[in-house]
Amino acid sequence: MHENRSTPARVWLLAALALAAAVVVIIGPALFDRFTLNVLTRSMIYAMLAVTVDILWGYTGILTFGQAAFFGTGAYASAMVLSHLGASPALMVLALALAIIVPVLLGAFVGWLSFGHGSTPLYATVISLVVPIVVTQLVFSGGVWTGSSSGLVGYSGLPLGLPGYFRLTGICLIVTTVVALVFTRSDAGKLLVAIRDNEARCAYLGLNPQRLKIVLTTILAGVAGIAGFLYANASGVVAPENTGFVFGTEIVIWTALGGRGTIIGPVIGAIGIDYLSAQLSGDLPFLWNLVVGALFVVMIILLPNGLAQLARMVLPRRNEEQASPSGSPTLAAEPAGNGSEAGNRVLAVSGLGKSFGSLQVLQGIDLDVHPGELVSLVGPNGAGKTTLLRCLSDGTEATTGTVTIAGQDISGMTPDEIVALGVGRKFQVASVFDSLTVADCLRMARASRNAPSLLRRSATLGLPAAATDILRSTGLDRMLLGRPVSLLSHGQKQSLELAMVVALEPKLILLDEPTAGLTKVERTTIGATLQKLTGELGFAAILVEHDLDFVRDISTRIVVLHQGKLVLDGSVDQVVNSEVVRTIYSGGAHA
Amino acid sequence: MTLLLDVVTTAAILFIVAAGLLAIFGVLKIINFAHGAWLTIGAYCAVATAGLGLNPWLALPIAFAVGAILGGITELVIVRPLYRRPLDAILATWGLGIVIGQLITLWFGRDVQFTPNLLSGTVDVFGVGYSLYRLFAVAAALVIGLAFTFLLEGTRLGLSAQAVIMNEMLARALGIDTARVRLATFMVGTGLAALAGVLLTPLTSVDPNMGVAWLIGSFMLVMVAGSSFSTLAIACLVFGGAQVLVSTFVSPIFGGITVAVLCALVLRISPKGFARA
Amino acid sequence: MRNRTVILAFVSAALAGVALATTAFAEDGPIKIGIPVGLSGANSVVAPSVVQSAELAVAEINAAGGVLGRQLALEIADDASGAAGAQKAFDALVFQKEVNAVITMETSAARNAGLPIISKGDIPYIYTSFYEGKSCNANLFVNAWVPEQQVPPIVDNFIKSQGAKKFFLIGSDYAFGRGMLEFAKAYIEKSGASIVGEEYLPMEGSDWTAIISNLKSSGADAVITSTAGGAPNVTLTKQLRGAGVTIPYGNLAVDEGTAKSMGADAAGIFISASYVTSIDSDANRSFLVAMQKKFGAELRTPNDLSVPEYEGIYLYKAAVEKAGSTDTAAVLAALAEVSFVGPRGTVSMSRQHHAPLTMYLGQVNADGSVTVVDTFKGVDPGEQCPNL
Repeated sequence: MHENRSTPARVWLLAALALAAAVVVIIGPALFDRFTLNVLTRSMIYAMLAVTVDILWGYTGILTFGQAAFFGTGAYASAMVLSHLGASPALMVLALALAIIVPVLLGAFVGWLSFGHGSTPLYATVISLVVPIVVTQLVFSGGVWTGSSSGLVGYSGLPLGLPGYFRLTGICLIVTTVVALVFTRSDAGKLLVAIRDNEARCAYLGLNPQRLKIVLTTILAGVAGIAGFLYANASGVVAPENTGFVFGTEIVIWTALGGRGTIIGPVIGAIGIDYLSAQLSGDLPFLWNLVVGALFVVMIILLPNGLAQLARMVLPRRNEEQASPSGSPTLAAEPAGNGSEAGNRVLAVSGLGKSFGSLQVLQGIDLDVHPGELVSLVGPNGAGKTTLLRCLSDGTEATTGTVTIAGQDISGMTPDEIVALGVGRKFQVASVFDSLTVADCLRMARASRNAPSLLRRSATLGLPAAATDILRSTGLDRMLLGRPVSLLSHGQKQSLELAMVVALEPKLILLDEPTAGLTKVERTTIGATLQKLTGELGFAAILVEHDLDFVRDISTRIVVLHQGKLVLDGSVDQVVNSEVVRTIYSGGAHA
Repeated sequence: MTLLLDVVTTAAILFIVAAGLLAIFGVLKIINFAHGAWLTIGAYCAVATAGLGLNPWLALPIAFAVGAILGGITELVIVRPLYRRPLDAILATWGLGIVIGQLITLWFGRDVQFTPNLLSGTVDVFGVGYSLYRLFAVAAALVIGLAFTFLLEGTRLGLSAQAVIMNEMLARALGIDTARVRLATFMVGTGLAALAGVLLTPLTSVDPNMGVAWLIGSFMLVMVAGSSFSTLAIACLVFGGAQVLVSTFVSPIFGGITVAVLCALVLRISPKGFARA
Repeated sequence: MRNRTVILAFVSAALAGVALATTAFAEDGPIKIGIPVGLSGANSVVAPSVVQSAELAVAEINAAGGVLGRQLALEIADDASGAAGAQKAFDALVFQKEVNAVITMETSAARNAGLPIISKGDIPYIYTSFYEGKSCNANLFVNAWVPEQQVPPIVDNFIKSQGAKKFFLIGSDYAFGRGMLEFAKAYIEKSGASIVGEEYLPMEGSDWTAIISNLKSSGADAVITSTAGGAPNVTLTKQLRGAGVTIPYGNLAVDEGTAKSMGADAAGIFISASYVTSIDSDANRSFLVAMQKKFGAELRTPNDLSVPEYEGIYLYKAAVEKAGSTDTAAVLAALAEVSFVGPRGTVSMSRQHHAPLTMYLGQVNADGSVTVVDTFKGVDPGEQCPNL
């Protein structure tokens, strides 16, 4: 939050690299012949596209062929203005504006189409295939306006000359790359990886991954549009091929070969492959495409992270984060949120029912939970415990009845909206972000409260005391950085997820078998933590648990679920000594 | 009348082209983006058959065999490591498609090839002269559909494949060699694709890139159809019909994207496509 | 310090020497002719025949001592039959291979995309493909036909000899397809017949079903098509024949070679061309013999797209010899004046950078050969570029 430290080494490194690249770009026209300049200008425009594909695919996990469509739209918007209206400075500005606005609008629409609630990654890819095809057909049907199959030529562009275009594109590429590098390495950039790793968890941390994806698609469509504007000016030709899905696949190939998820890799991949293909394809066109195609297949199978991965394997990896003394963020205490006033109900459920077709999984559930209560939900397998938790955390799940959280009816609300009401949910299988560090996972949990920086990696990690306590008691506070969460033990992941949920400062925590598969010591720790959260800090919690001894030790109240109905709701003693419970657990009666 | 025939025959052609892709997607949940390349392989089998002076109809079994064998090799080498990475499988098979296209170009050259017509001329249907071959395509589509239904319902392989579709872990627990089922399915799918390539030759020119034009349409239809041949047939009729209507009454240029756009919209509204209907 | 100066001087001298040597070499080296052509894509059917006739022209000229004592060399590049590919191909030829002239047959899309690069590089460009007309550029010369020369023979024949009154027009949706049919439409209406339908499909399109059904229900008694060469033309013809279309069929984009490989499907098609293999002249006979001798079994049937390529190279030779150098301005001035007697007769690009030509109306036979139905001598290309 408070960035008073001296600028880290990696910032200097980035600045130095950018400066070096800028120098090459500025003096380039003196070094290269005309043909090379021409080819490199085009390659650098393509590299900008590769960067956008890398952010979408490499970081966020959205495989897209659609950037070609946005690029083509931008190029056509510019070329149409320049062809049909003219190239005066004012019209040039108009061309640039349209080259951004039209793709942005299209991008927003495509994003809305691709990322509805519950749409699959494959569907987004499908849409990204359809969009370029549609745009290409629109170009074909545009008659003289778009030049149809012939494209548009012969308009005048920016009066820059070849060296000027080379420098302009070079600078644009450097800016794009630096912005992308800074963004993807910032706290906000980690959000993209979080979405790729575990979209459901993002939603249950109060984030709206679908909306973030739409925003990302929209912005990157605009960047592709700028690249299109540059292309239309620098090349003097726009053709239907520039918008097609085959071109879209080419960008993905460059990105894949360069190394997805590295920004620099795709830039090098795009420039290298396009430049080489311009040099070689004249002499051996088929062989060249054959080699690129074969290399691509081998790469996808054996080295999914591209040449960058190979480079990383060959070069000894220097872990800058552990090497730098200022690397590890300090845990900072966040002021405790407004604790819920005792007495008011946090949760009120009445007449809740859920059915899958004719199968009634839950029916007639009534349940109230107050602050400070630790309610355990018990019952045999298939009683509907997990389904009940799902109905409490996703307003689109329940079939009948109402669920009210902090006085608000949640029907129809998405998980992230319900999180905003103060519900945190911990899943049965630890749901964390596998490729992030412990610190970044926790930062994601705070992202809905403290908007993460788009530029910086914060040196502090602000957490509520309750979450910090969990980290201290499990030793996670010493593993904040350095390695991805996927390397943690099973118990550590469970504790981390609990800490993430607690970091949300929820009024109500839903826990689905948090102790499954844990050691005795770990169970005790979690049990103590839960008791402290509810007893001392005023959280309410609903715990699904099989271990009756554990439940007896920590609960304030126990609810018994059997065959989709709530059969008992009472104090620990009442329930433990109840005849009904004994019959159910011995497997006999039908309540 | 002609319009109706156009709709039915267009649907039949779409069905023939998409069948191989569906077989693979339905069982393996993998999208074979080299599907277009297999159509091309099939068409070049027809060229080669004609070049050897054989009866053009012989191209059908030859293409099926060649397609299946190449498909088998592909499954073992390329697809097998990617079942857990379906998006990467799209990319790898697309790359394979590029490679196949270039190999065909190196072998046959890049110009358009010609094949003898399987059936030529027209027949009178209710007083309208209509292309005999297009009518034959309807029969071919029916045969492929029925043969496949038989394969799924009536054979050991088919039943195993169904088990794999429903629950792969369970299938494996029941002692089904899922790896072999996958291999066999992929071979059948690619064999069908190559067969479709031969059936396309009387309608289009044969060149190294001919398959790409058909890829997206069949891909979209398969996404909508899910894993069943009957839903694929319905999808082909509905969207093929829409394509013919748009081409006839609006613009043939928009006709070309009708299938893709409508399928995308259907999937937006109902992510499982026709599979639930 | 002194050492460094010496070294510097030495290096500069060496560099200067190399530079001198290169210049000298360039003066004596071959004259390079660039041929960007659609080796892939729509033009891939005819492209090999175009390359063959260029190779023959260059071989003949070199065997006879070259041009101004210099040999000719070909640089061939694939333009993928489209604008984007042409841009790459022209870039490579003009600025990487530094050719002295571009002489080629291409799609209109490729020509349009290449022209700005030709202007930047300022070299002569002889376009040897028939096209939709009215492409004007100081560096561009055309030795093949335009609609004004090609369409009237077919339309006149259909109206007068076949009694056609209702025409249906089908084209690929690009400059050539639309340009040809636009002219045809105006000419048909001027001739007193009517247009009952006009439909286009993108160059990449392969499903003509709906268009053919519209054609059949339109009551047309003649059809004229103007597609991109190669795949679209083949696909359309196959589907037309499959649908049993038997009305008079004029194809503005088919060449003799393609017609031959299409086999029975092409039978009966009317073509209007400036070249057919059966032209009865010494120049044509010796050309055909030379082609046969050079390429043997590999020979692609010479056609209306490949023969202008052959003649284009000879026209360039004549212009360079007249100009006395490969200097662009001088060669361009000479190109408008020189003429060459080739397989198509005497060709001169004297009319606003375009060429008056003898046109033949032919009909394709079942074996792919073309029977000449009528001959029109010295057909004028009309006002193509009044400003040139």
